[in-house]
Amino acid sequence: MDIKVLRIAEFLEREKQMKVRELAEKSGFQVHADEIAFDKEIEGVFCGDLLSWVMGNCHESNAWITVQTHLNVVAVAALKEISCLIIVQDASIPQETLDKAKEEHIAVFETSMSAYEACVFCHEIGC
Amino acid sequence: MTPNNIVNMSLLKGLECIAVCDHNSAAQQKTMALVAKEKGLHYIYGIEVQTIEEVHVLALFEKEEHCLSFGEWVKEKLPPIPNDVQYFGQQQIMNEKDEEIASEPILLLQSIEAGINETCDRVHAHHGLFILAHVMDRANSIMTQLGFIPQGLPIDGCEIKESMQKELILAMHPYLSEELIWLIDSDAHQLIDIHENEYEIDFEILKKGWRKYV
Repeated sequence: MDIKVLRIAEFLEREKQMKVRELAEKSGFQVHADEIAFDKEIEGVFCGDLLSWVMGNCHESNAWITVQTHLNVVAVAALKEISCLIIVQDASIPQETLDKAKEEHIAVFETSMSAYEACVFCHEIGC
Repeated sequence: MTPNNIVNMSLLKGLECIAVCDHNSAAQQKTMALVAKEKGLHYIYGIEVQTIEEVHVLALFEKEEHCLSFGEWVKEKLPPIPNDVQYFGQQQIMNEKDEEIASEPILLLQSIEAGINETCDRVHAHHGLFILAHVMDRANSIMTQLGFIPQGLPIDGCEIKESMQKELILAMHPYLSEELIWLIDSDAHQLIDIHENEYEIDFEILKKGWRKYV
C-alpha cells in the first residue's frame, strides 16, 4: 500500500517536473524559444485546431498540438497560459506568429509528425 | 440552384440586389450577372473563399474582370484534389439558359493554400472588398476557426444574419470600427433559404469601399 502511494507520488512529481526544455531535448523537434519559454512547466497536452474550441477547453500549462499557425494562435496561447505550441505536419508558420510567440515567451515546436503521432509521443515521454 | 432559378426566386422575394458567391470559384459569375441584369436585378460579383485556416471570406467586386482575375488566383491556390461526385455532388457550370456547359473537375469544397492575411491582400490587389463571411456562424466562421477577429487584419466588413449580431461583434472587438460594411443577408444555400427584402445597404458605401482599392 505504502509503496503504491510512493509510486503515485513519484509519478506526480515526475509529471510536475516536465519542462519545455525537457520536451525539446527528448523530442528533437525544431524549436523556437528563449530561456523563459524553456523554463515553463508542462502539465498535460491539448490537441485542437478550432481556436474557439481551444479557448473554451484547454487548460493552463497544457502543451498545445495544432496545425493552425495564424497569429491568433499566439493570442489564444497567451490568454490560456499554455506552456508551449507544437505545430504538426510541417504546417508553415508565418514569421509574425514566430515573432509574437517570442515576444510572449511561448516556445514553438515544429514537427512533421501528425497530431495523433505527436499526442502518442508526448504521452510516451511523460508530458 | 440554376442561374434562372436563383434570379426568379430573388425577384419573387422582392430583392433588388444579389451576389452569388460560389465556393472558391468564379466560373459562374459571367452567366449569373447576365441573367440577373437582364431581369433588372443589381448584381455584385463575388467568390466565397475558404482560407487555409478554414475561415470563409467573401471577396466582392464591382467589375467582372477583377472578379475573374481574382478567381484565377484562387484556382492556382486550389490543391489538385478531384471532385468525387458521389460525395460532394455535381459542380456544374451553366449557361444563361440553365444548360450545363461544363463541370469543375477540382473539388471546390476545400481550403485554398493561402492564409487569411494573404487572401485579404490578394482581394485588395484585385480591387475587391474583403468581407468576413457569416461571422457568428458555428461552422467555418472566423469566430470558430480563429477565436476572434484579429486586430490589424484590414477587413472591409462583416457578413451577418441579423442586425443584433453587429452590436455583439463590436462589443467583443473594441478595435473594430462601426464604419465597416455590415452586410446583412440570407447566405442562402438553397432557393428556399433566400430571404424576403428585409435589409438594405447603401450602394454608395460599397462604391466608397471599392474606390479605396482602385
